Amino acid sequence: MNPAGDRLLSVAPSPMFWVAAVAYAIAAVLLLLVLAGQARLRTLALVTVAIAWFAHGADIGWRGTEHVHPAESVREALGFLAFIITGGYLLASVRYRLTLGGVVVMPIALVMLLLARLTPAGSAPEDLSTLGRLHISLATIGVAIFALASVLSAIYLAEDRALKRKHFDAAAFEGGGAPLEALDRIAHRLIWVGFPIFTIALVLGAIWTTELGESLGRIEYALAAVTWVAYATLLVARQIYGWRGRRAARLALEGFATALAVVIVYLVRRATG
Amino acid sequence: MTVANRLFVVGLSWRTAEVAVREKLAFREDEIALVLQAMTSKLQVAEAILISTCNRVEVYGVAPPQGEAAAAVRAFLIDNRGAKPADLAGALYSHVGPDAVRHVFRVASALDSLVVGEAQILGQLKAAYAIAGKVGAAGPVLSRALERAFGAAKRVRTETAIARGAANVSSVAVELAKRVFGELRGKHVLVVGAGKMSTLAARHLYASGAARIVVTNRSPEKAEALAAEIDAIAKPWSELDALLAEADVVISSTGAREPILTRALFKKVMKARRWRPLVVIDIAVPRDAEPQIGDLDGVYLYNIDDLDKVVRANLAERAKAAEQATKIVEHEVGNFERWLRTQGVVPTIRALRDHFATIAQAELAKAHDQLARKDLTRDEQRALLDRVVQLVVNKLLHTPTSVLRGSEPDEATLRAAIACELFALAPAEAASEVEPPEQEDEEEEAEKARA
Repeated sequence: MNPAGDRLLSVAPSPMFWVAAVAYAIAAVLLLLVLAGQARLRTLALVTVAIAWFAHGADIGWRGTEHVHPAESVREALGFLAFIITGGYLLASVRYRLTLGGVVVMPIALVMLLLARLTPAGSAPEDLSTLGRLHISLATIGVAIFALASVLSAIYLAEDRALKRKHFDAAAFEGGGAPLEALDRIAHRLIWVGFPIFTIALVLGAIWTTELGESLGRIEYALAAVTWVAYATLLVARQIYGWRGRRAARLALEGFATALAVVIVYLVRRATG
Repeated sequence: MTVANRLFVVGLSWRTAEVAVREKLAFREDEIALVLQAMTSKLQVAEAILISTCNRVEVYGVAPPQGEAAAAVRAFLIDNRGAKPADLAGALYSHVGPDAVRHVFRVASALDSLVVGEAQILGQLKAAYAIAGKVGAAGPVLSRALERAFGAAKRVRTETAIARGAANVSSVAVELAKRVFGELRGKHVLVVGAGKMSTLAARHLYASGAARIVVTNRSPEKAEALAAEIDAIAKPWSELDALLAEADVVISSTGAREPILTRALFKKVMKARRWRPLVVIDIAVPRDAEPQIGDLDGVYLYNIDDLDKVVRANLAERAKAAEQATKIVEHEVGNFERWLRTQGVVPTIRALRDHFATIAQAELAKAHDQLARKDLTRDEQRALLDRVVQLVVNKLLHTPTSVLRGSEPDEATLRAAIACELFALAPAEAASEVEPPEQEDEEEEAEKARA
């Protein structure tokens, strides 16, 4: 086997990974068709999302049996992140029609899963301390929750724009997404839950970095701090000044963009060794 | 007359009669059962259903096999309501046979409704069917027709967009509010001004679950009067700012020449309400709301033209869907008519089965006797079975063979072709075949000798 192959797949993906990847792709297409007016495909699309999610979970479980923990590395955490996001989407879909959300979430989940399984693994992860594992786990969960909130915020902005510009044709009018107020409320609640988790992850990360003797001056740490400030501002401004709606949605998306930048910097650093 | 041609419809609807005419023929729900009983007992009507709504009064009926019922029902309806025949002359219509079936299916699918795709007619038809069922007026043909029509209506509603989208301005206002708030339960509605349209919209919102309606108007008397009419609370005009801050949906229709809902006012209001979303429906002309307030975060402003645009778009969608719905209805009508046609041959099929069974039973009974009386070897038993089968076949074919042989040449060919089709036969060329002798008589004689 060539050395590149060794680097490519440190632990070969299980067959369930391929099932999940194909199901995510099919679900994305089906949801797009639902959005285009094929309302009858909605149940089939959601069943496909569920299949993808279960297969994804099974793949993570199988990797666990191969001693690859979801918080083993940023690369593994990325796959786990996609799993949490899809799970959250599935859960929300039970209550609301989030077709547009699905069209956004499915390709993101697919790309995250492919990145997590098929990109170069980089050098073998050093023996992680409990602190390191805890930091990666909490950061993953925090960012996953922010990701869900961001998807809702993105839908909010799209729907708000459609309502403001009076773009409501007959077909999209009734079968449309969740009501604006609900999107805003759920996104806010998610941020309320995600923020303390992300804060603890940040503190643990700082301690861990100091323990490893690394500098705190790296770009990803600065970006993580910006993320924290954005979400903190959002929560405080809502509490004190009643910020909500468009302004809150935009800030939530900006916060998530920096969080995503942190993950990307980590990934690039890991891949390039 | 075939069963299919015995079905008829007599009545009038919004298409043929104005409300002043329709009301002359209307029935109260508690009158319908008695009318149906009278119709089926006094007239030559085998089955009947009577539907009376604000948009139509119709009788769906089945005439007896040799009767003409539509004209009698028409006269009965006029007489029963004490109407003058001249008043209803151009309004009453009748459909018979396939046209009647198609009409019933179209009515159930709301294709014949004033607002195409409306949901009420199906419920009204079901209620009418239930009443007819209770008094025993809905027989097998109408029951089947109605059930198939309900099935078609369900297909139309689920497979087409015919029932989608609000079809009037008030419903659009409710839909818009729902897009923002989801449920309207617990939401506050503020009616600014005392226009007729705002009353309708407010009522619609209230019916959709809004918690309370507040009315405010420059003239307190008018506000009080409107509030009393729609079960709302009247508040003084001077409290407008505070009322706007509390409301979730504002419906405005004052007669003011200048905008009342200004951007400056709304900036204050939105801050006071901590940017909670606010839906503003401005149905006044000239407009009550400055268009710029729609740019504010959380304010969703719609004027009468916006609402009309949605209504028009929805109605256009419904019209498009109606074409698809018509195809579904035609398909279902075809299925039902096929079923109806088969009802004509049911007695023949039954007689044929009975005839075959009688002959087979008679021969079997004889064979059982012989088996019981004689101590037969296996070969004899086998021979007995062969004989029984041969006898049954001969007896069954005796009459058809005689008829075929005795027919005129042209008719014989036709009958032979029908026989081939009925029994899936592919006969060889007649000239090359020697006709097999009919064995029945010989066999029967031998049988008697054996017995």
